[in-house]
Amino acid sequence: MLCHSAAGPARGAGHATAAMDGTRQHTSQPIVTGTSVLGIKYKDGVMLAADTLASYGSLARYKNVERLKPVGECTLIGASGEYSDFQHIMETLEDYHQYDVNMDDGFERSPAEIYNLLRTIMYNRRNKFNPLWNYLLIAGCKKDGTAFLGSVDHIGTCYEDNILATGFGGHLALPILRKKWRPDLEEGEARALLEDCMRVLFYRDCRALNRIQIAKATAEGTVVSDAYKVDTEWSLASFSQPKAGQDTDGSW
Amino acid sequence: MFRNQYDTDVTVWSPQGRLHQVEYAMEAVKQGGASLGLRSGSHVVLAALKRAPNEMSAPQKKIFKLDSNMGVAIAGLTADARSLAKYMRTECLNHKYVYGTTMQASRLVLDLADMHQRTTQSYVRRPYGVGMLVAAHDQTGPHLFQTCPSGNYFEYVAMAIGARSQSAKTYLEKHFEDFENCDLDELVKHALKALSGCVTGDKELDANGLTLAIVGKDKVFESLEGEQLQPYMDAIELEGNAAQPMDEGDGEEKAPAPDAGMA
Amino acid sequence: MSSTGAGYDLSATTFSPDGKIFQVEYATKAVENSGTAMGVRCKDGVLLAVEKLLISKMLVAGSNRRVHGVSKHVGMAVAGLSADARQIVYRGRDEVAGYIENYGSQMPPSMLADRLAQYVHYFTLHGSLRPFGASVLVAGYDVELKKHELYVVEPSGVMYRYFGAAVGKGRQAAKTEMEKLKFDDMTCKEAMKQVCKILHVLHDEAKDKPFELEMSWVCEESGWKYQAVPQAQVKEAEEWAKESIESDEMDDDED
Repeated sequence: MLCHSAAGPARGAGHATAAMDGTRQHTSQPIVTGTSVLGIKYKDGVMLAADTLASYGSLARYKNVERLKPVGECTLIGASGEYSDFQHIMETLEDYHQYDVNMDDGFERSPAEIYNLLRTIMYNRRNKFNPLWNYLLIAGCKKDGTAFLGSVDHIGTCYEDNILATGFGGHLALPILRKKWRPDLEEGEARALLEDCMRVLFYRDCRALNRIQIAKATAEGTVVSDAYKVDTEWSLASFSQPKAGQDTDGSW
Repeated sequence: MFRNQYDTDVTVWSPQGRLHQVEYAMEAVKQGGASLGLRSGSHVVLAALKRAPNEMSAPQKKIFKLDSNMGVAIAGLTADARSLAKYMRTECLNHKYVYGTTMQASRLVLDLADMHQRTTQSYVRRPYGVGMLVAAHDQTGPHLFQTCPSGNYFEYVAMAIGARSQSAKTYLEKHFEDFENCDLDELVKHALKALSGCVTGDKELDANGLTLAIVGKDKVFESLEGEQLQPYMDAIELEGNAAQPMDEGDGEEKAPAPDAGMA
Repeated sequence: MSSTGAGYDLSATTFSPDGKIFQVEYATKAVENSGTAMGVRCKDGVLLAVEKLLISKMLVAGSNRRVHGVSKHVGMAVAGLSADARQIVYRGRDEVAGYIENYGSQMPPSMLADRLAQYVHYFTLHGSLRPFGASVLVAGYDVELKKHELYVVEPSGVMYRYFGAAVGKGRQAAKTEMEKLKFDDMTCKEAMKQVCKILHVLHDEAKDKPFELEMSWVCEESGWKYQAVPQAQVKEAEEWAKESIESDEMDDDED
């Protein structure tokens, strides 16, 4: 339920346990998690990619969840981390969007404003030692064509860039993106680049899946693709020749 | 005023379906010194007559800045206006913290109108005795809103409130269709011409007797006073055709009561 | 007018000797002075229409809406003190948002109307409050039952479901006109023209302030979403209505 104060809804109790000595412990780790989300700006706007897996620890528990969601007309959210917290965040944002619709005054919160709002929410929750355990990418494009890409993590750190990746993506995809990204990427090039990164992530991140979604935000609005499989090639030399037994740590 | 048994509590309806206490609060707005606002396609101008309660005091504040893109001109009880302006400033600051942007004026005005409304429906508080003209330039362009003690609010191209505001209203009604394409200087001159009709009969509008504020596209809220206004005053004197004060006996308008905290 | 009553009419907590609560009746008077609001239930949806009286020609066109969105599938048209009416609209928004949060589905319009009636009724029970000087028309689509419905909530806190309803100044004339038509067999688009015509007929241009026509609907065409009727369609309906009124007058002259 949306309270009308500018500070916004304070909803969701979070998990809490009380110990015998009177101390309380809130969420200290995520339970059901999504892995990396990638985001890049390109010629017409901004594009996100994520797989559709929600893991329970190391178990691939839910294989068809959406981690890229639209908010209103021009904003996309991509989430890694605790999936239930993401669902809660989306409910909150839906409330805000319905408020905009109800106002009917021709104004809708811009991607940058939603990014700032999420930063406030995340930072506020972390200051209560009860964080929402997500690493979010916020992407969007205003009607005039200005693209926005920013990230907010579970302690309220916020950061904007032309290329962003959460989780393992920060280690495995960002180096590729840094090498291949340019501001004038065509839509097809942008998609191919993200697919390459998602493929690498599937090869090397044990919490990743080869079933992915791509979403784009342009001046025309937002589109989230259906989930589809990325091709993999397991006959590559580095995969087919086990390093075990040789004088290494045994990994690829 | 017409006294009757239904007019002493806000929570009592008259048999005609009227709320007399609320209407009396609206009366307080009409007793305050005149304020007006008008907007073009890019800017909004507020102007108000300054009144001093006595010879030795400074005049009371008529225009309050709320944020870099927003301000308000008032007529009625200054003390009420100050507390409402404080509320609005806090809302603007909160918005800036949460969203990193300035607030949409229509939504702030709606919250303000709701504050007014709540006082009219419960026994514990009296209605606010102040009318406000909110000028802003936000993401949907320039706006001018009026709020009333009743909790009603309106969006106008131009409006005047307070004592002897009728002549300003008449001037604005005659010219408002031209405002859309006015440049800022023309808009300020229209404001001053309209305001000159609100001065007490035997006096004339002078640069020290009024306060003016501007906000607009790529123009942060700015107040102009005294000497800053002199060039505009000189210009309208040359052009003529300013609004003329109406007859003192003009129906609803009452002589001001400057000692009652009215501004 | 109801007999004014010797000290029995100063509080909503006082009954008169003949069992009336005058304060509620007086609050209803505030609604009766307002511009007319109409609602009709058609075969393919519900249509709301409001005669929004304009107090000044300097008002910005389209400002101060009297039809309000409440949720995806529900909207309201209001009559009476618009500041009072807003509070009822807010309550409606909070109710539906709370329902979605708890149950994950859309609140049935019947339940919403019931909750609103409870809310409005509460204000008739206490000496420290006053009854709302506003009535609301609730148009909604029940997602579960796949039914579209129209409700009216009155200042007394009663709520009825209607096939066609009108509140405000022109309600009597509007009701008479509505009873002649079979809205149940009409589409919203057809009804729109008739409703336009009714509002234009009962608006006295010589006596009343000028008005803007506001319309919104929840219907098959809008995907059972609540939304304002597109301006072009309102214009079209208004033009039809004006022509139709003119030709009616011509017929009268010939008689």
